[in-house]
Amino acid sequence: MLVSIQGLTAALPPVADRPLAIDDVSLEIAANEIVCIVGESGSGKSMMAHAVMGLLPRGVAVTGGRILFDGADLLQESPEAMRKRRGRDIAMIFQDPMAALNPVAAIGRQVTEQIRAHRAISEREARQQAVDLLSQMGLNEAELLLSAYPHQLSGGQRQRVMIAMALSLSPRLLIADEPTTALDVTTQAQILKLIKKIQAERQMSVLFITHDFGVVADMADRVAVMRLGQVLENGAVAQILERPTHSYTRALIAAVPKGTCAPLDSAEGKPLVEIRGLSKTFRRGGLFSSRGAVTAVDDVSLTLNRGETLGIVGESGSGKSTLARCVIRLLEPDSGAVLFDGADIAKMKSSRLRPLRRRIQMVFQDNHSSLNPRQRIGDIITAGPRAYGENKAAVLARAADILRLVGLNSESLDRFPHEFSGGQRQRIGLARALMLRPDVLIADEPVSALDVTVQAQVLKLLDDVRRKMNLAMLFITHDMRVAAEVCHRVVVMRNGKVVESGPTHTLFSAPASDYTKSLLAAIPGRGRL
Amino acid sequence: MIRFARIFFAKPATILVFAFFIAIVLIALAAPLLFVRGPLTIVGMPLLPPGAPGFLAGSDVLGRDMAGALAYGARISLLVGAASTIGAVGIGVLLGAVAGYYGGLVDELLMRVTEFFQIIPSFVLLMVLVAFLQPSLGSTVIGIALISWPQVARVVRGEFLSLKGREFVQAARTLGMRDSRIILTQILPNALPPILVVGSMMVGSAILTESALSFLGLGDPNLLSWGSMIGGARSAMWVAWWTSVLPGLAIMATVLSLNFIGDRLNDALNPRGQR
Amino acid sequence: MNRLHYIGKRLVMTALVTFTVILVSFFMIRLAPGDAATVMAGQAGFSDEAFMKTLRAEYGLDQPLPVQLWKYLGAVAQGDMGSSYVRRQPVLAVILERLPNTLLLDAFALVAAIAGGVWLGGIAARRPGSAGDGVVTTLSMLFYAIPQFWLGMMAVLVFAVWLNWLPPFGIETMGADNTGLARFGDVALHMILPGMTLALYYMASYARLTRVTMIEVAEQDFVKTARAKGISERQVARRHILRNALIPLVTYAGLQASILLGGSVLVENVFSWPGIGTLAYEAVTERDNPLLLGIFIVTSVLVSLFNLATDIAYSLVDPRVELG
Repeated sequence: MLVSIQGLTAALPPVADRPLAIDDVSLEIAANEIVCIVGESGSGKSMMAHAVMGLLPRGVAVTGGRILFDGADLLQESPEAMRKRRGRDIAMIFQDPMAALNPVAAIGRQVTEQIRAHRAISEREARQQAVDLLSQMGLNEAELLLSAYPHQLSGGQRQRVMIAMALSLSPRLLIADEPTTALDVTTQAQILKLIKKIQAERQMSVLFITHDFGVVADMADRVAVMRLGQVLENGAVAQILERPTHSYTRALIAAVPKGTCAPLDSAEGKPLVEIRGLSKTFRRGGLFSSRGAVTAVDDVSLTLNRGETLGIVGESGSGKSTLARCVIRLLEPDSGAVLFDGADIAKMKSSRLRPLRRRIQMVFQDNHSSLNPRQRIGDIITAGPRAYGENKAAVLARAADILRLVGLNSESLDRFPHEFSGGQRQRIGLARALMLRPDVLIADEPVSALDVTVQAQVLKLLDDVRRKMNLAMLFITHDMRVAAEVCHRVVVMRNGKVVESGPTHTLFSAPASDYTKSLLAAIPGRGRL
Repeated sequence: MIRFARIFFAKPATILVFAFFIAIVLIALAAPLLFVRGPLTIVGMPLLPPGAPGFLAGSDVLGRDMAGALAYGARISLLVGAASTIGAVGIGVLLGAVAGYYGGLVDELLMRVTEFFQIIPSFVLLMVLVAFLQPSLGSTVIGIALISWPQVARVVRGEFLSLKGREFVQAARTLGMRDSRIILTQILPNALPPILVVGSMMVGSAILTESALSFLGLGDPNLLSWGSMIGGARSAMWVAWWTSVLPGLAIMATVLSLNFIGDRLNDALNPRGQR
Repeated sequence: MNRLHYIGKRLVMTALVTFTVILVSFFMIRLAPGDAATVMAGQAGFSDEAFMKTLRAEYGLDQPLPVQLWKYLGAVAQGDMGSSYVRRQPVLAVILERLPNTLLLDAFALVAAIAGGVWLGGIAARRPGSAGDGVVTTLSMLFYAIPQFWLGMMAVLVFAVWLNWLPPFGIETMGADNTGLARFGDVALHMILPGMTLALYYMASYARLTRVTMIEVAEQDFVKTARAKGISERQVARRHILRNALIPLVTYAGLQASILLGGSVLVENVFSWPGIGTLAYEAVTERDNPLLLGIFIVTSVLVSLFNLATDIAYSLVDPRVELG
């Protein structure tokens, strides 16, 4: 056994919602294997990674157990001895590569700094090693990259740099803390492939932290399921996937959207929303700037019928969010038409737009900032009808009904947003949108920030509500799996343009464009779950 | 509310400082009752040391009661501090909010104006303003408000800009709320914490500025303020330390307690800023 | 956009801002009651209407405002800012005579404030909540609350009168007629008290800023990465934390320039330091408008140039900044 964690316990500071971050955890990592720890937020999986590295945050302290690395208890080592191990015997890569790289130091410097911290070689030699490493990681023109700064690289490139740094001294254990969560799906696929490749080449052990069972299916040899600081289940990946013993594990696996394609509805008459040739360009810099423009949406056309859910899928920068915001007139498109029930609202004046506004509503992505932290729920969700002059008492009565519809009780009306969980806040956001009895609901990545079990519940709720209130729904997401689960038709966008569109079933089983094919191929765990 | 109080009073000294500040305010308010003859009346021999019979804080160059002068001086300092800050915050919030929310030309204009104020040495500008308006209590308040508002405007503009992009504000727009309603009910309540903190610090610096002005003889000639006391005591500084030390200590203690309270406010309203 | 292009653009902006300053100040000062002729006549002891008329004609005060402005702008472009009413000398000459003294004092104060502030703030940030942190924070709060002029007086009282360590006022010992190194030493000695008085307030704000910034930066992910790489704590502190904390500090230094010049007025007054702070005060009380206007122009040009310098420094320190 390379790593043997025995009865590890770590306490959280008194203000936390529970006493232990890690609760009597035992785990083993053999040489030359990939072990995944999977769990939702607050499970303690990330803490485990930090504990092994000896980098627990301030306020969290180990109170019991041992972490044996090659026989030596890491918890007993002196700070200086532990420092020597870091980067050399055990290396770690983090979730957000932009935040994880020093913004004011050149890439070359950051790589050589690690090498030279452990080996007495010259800067010149270290730079040469850096170039070799970066090339191995699939980065072209590595020489030029040495003098670049982190903000000049893409997310995928940055993560490759981080991996290069981690491998520079050939550690025996690589700890990866959700390394692909902040990346696009196609980039994620590439990075996962890279990690698997180098693991096989170097016969390295990897401790891989993730929340996505799809990733587990692709990467792991063995997997441990964590929840609230405890390991619930632990074993070979095939066994856990096929015969999970714990109910939570079963729930986690079941919650992964599996692309059970919704059956095709017949289109009902004229489309409710019709977008023709929509374009939106952003100028960068201020009024007097000469920098270039970014075309976020480029001549996009699509239709949305009553009673259907249309998915708009794309990676970051595809323009899907901008498109949504143009439809709901949070942004004004530069050209094109947005026909809502016959009327073109693309450039309509606010006074004429106002009565139409209430018929198109939106559910936002970030449940933290989509609710005014200083207002009570009652005020938040009744704000819409009241803005249109409805009587407050009548509105409050309806509010209680709507809250029930979304699965919350009427006591919530008096509480503040911070008293609710992420999933509950999304429900509140949905209630707020429904209070105006809209015809169209735009959901902008409504479940991306939620844990996977909560995600499944909210998706089901959205679908139920759509059916009950006969809404037309525009569903924005970057996750193909989610789109497949709730959408009747899907539009794939890339760099502002529509690449492909069609019924979900057809798109998924027989994609026409290469890009769609690559998106589908990048889905983690495809076929294995 | 309870969470706010808990963090605000977290430091043990807070209650003492708070009480001290209340005491200053009370003394200032009670000054006409405690020292009925007013601060400018000569009541005894000049340059009596503190502790001399009937003179708790001694007497000044002209034989006026130092204790009474200090109490009356508190009125001026607190009045100028509060009034000019209210003025500065009022103007600053109005202009900053409009610039931050609507952007465009109004915003550009505001930025140029604040830049202008940043480049000109503001104290010299203040001197010119006060001289222009003739030195008086009113001109002091107006002058200090005029050189202080750009700072508030910059903070408010920044807050409005960032809050404008937050999803709950965007949601308010999709719900059909009018702009004025959005600014008042959604943005302003969330922008309040930094405004309060800037405001409380501003009272302290306004008091310092007022004392500097009256020290140089540019304050209201008919009123006695702590700064003018120090200015008048320059000649006697070496023989009668209390004539200049005591008013200075008074200024320091008042501003210190205000800054301390402002600091606690900052921690209590902005949990990230702890430690 | 490369650096040269950027500098060129900024110089144009500086000229524009200076122009605005001139414009606004010109109108403000001209609109003040009690025009110069009254002042001068008062000084000369005459209040004869004819005499004042002659004075006005001589100084061009009887012409319409826009004409006066135009003439003034033309003259300024050639370096002529008119004559001081009171001193009967060219304004620019009067200012330039005193300017070096203020620059010397302010430069000393700025360096002392930044060096002291960053050092103290660094100590406080290393172990937040510790005794060292408490001391630094308390001292900073104290210095932030002291009126500068009063601090100056107390400093004179303690160090010049009671302890007799340092000279109480002026820039050099009167009548001493020193030259070269001796003069340099004499001036330096005289500069300590006013310089430190001026510096302490800003040192306090630098200490606070440094402390907050370094604590914030230390929480960032890339510091965690640095530790994960096994780099020594020392290097982490220097190359990662401090280096990133520099960014807001440089910005802040830029803001200090005009505030420092303003603070000079008081300190120079207390210490009888012959700089433009005292000059400005005299100009205000004497209603010497050309001199006052000249001081505004010169200081705003200086501050603009200083801001340009800090902007360039900022772009050197933060590679994310795109010039232009």
